[in-house]
Amino acid sequence: MPLDPTLKGREYGEISLEVESDHVVRFAEAIGDTNPIYRDADAARAAGHPGQLAPPTFATVLQIMTSARVIADQDLGLNYALVVHGEQEYEWSRPIRVGDRLSAAPRIADIRARGPNEYLVLEADVRDKAGKRVVLARTTLLSRGTAAS
Amino acid sequence: MTARVRFEDVAVGDRLPARSKTIRREEVKAYADASGDQNPLHQDDAFARSVGFPGIIAHGMFSMAHVTTTLTEWLGDPAALMRIRVQFRAVVFMGETLTASGEIVARDEGERRATLSVWAEVEREGLRVRVIKNSEAEVQLA
Repeated sequence: MPLDPTLKGREYGEISLEVESDHVVRFAEAIGDTNPIYRDADAARAAGHPGQLAPPTFATVLQIMTSARVIADQDLGLNYALVVHGEQEYEWSRPIRVGDRLSAAPRIADIRARGPNEYLVLEADVRDKAGKRVVLARTTLLSRGTAAS
Repeated sequence: MTARVRFEDVAVGDRLPARSKTIRREEVKAYADASGDQNPLHQDDAFARSVGFPGIIAHGMFSMAHVTTTLTEWLGDPAALMRIRVQFRAVVFMGETLTASGEIVARDEGERRATLSVWAEVEREGLRVRVIKNSEAEVQLA
């Protein structure tokens, strides 16, 4: 069944994430990035940063939480078995750092059909405690074969 | 800190040093735990087979992270990576070697920025399969 196009623009509640050192280290290990600035505050300061950084795609941790919130929306009628992650975009205003409290309220930026598939575009404007943007995450999910024929 | 790559030192058509790694089950499990994406498609072979794959596949975001690391290692500073957009076009199986690279496609002299086409590929049955393609990144150079 096709997705309901009137849900374009729907916003969801804010989700937050505390960026903790051991979590960042586990993430850096998992992606195989050995840069010491993701492990050690002194190494990060020596490189001119205010403290331990997270790898750029650490934003994915919050993005997965925000996407899950949207996917769970019964009104949308998404069949998760048919969903594929088609595209991902991040636009950073600054690096993510240990000690950040990141928050984002996801929204449905677009719902469109192309051929047999539908594209669901989610945006999450990830901000710090001061309300300043850290990264904009744009996720395109593909719902296979659900477009109206 | 700023990038160690200077704007004057790049030209359209230049390629990044390629970065390869062999995808192992333990890393994919570690990525599931660290990222929070516990989809069984990335952990449970029986489940992956039930949806038509020969076994578990890596997370698309795991491959994207490899592309990102390839960029930040070249740049020398993660803060120099301003934007990346990737398209996931094929899946990656365990034991495959994922190679990421990129190529300068545009330069902005005023802002000292460059746009790159980026990709990641695996070799499968003698063919190179681009799992990430039609993708781009914008970087701030020194």
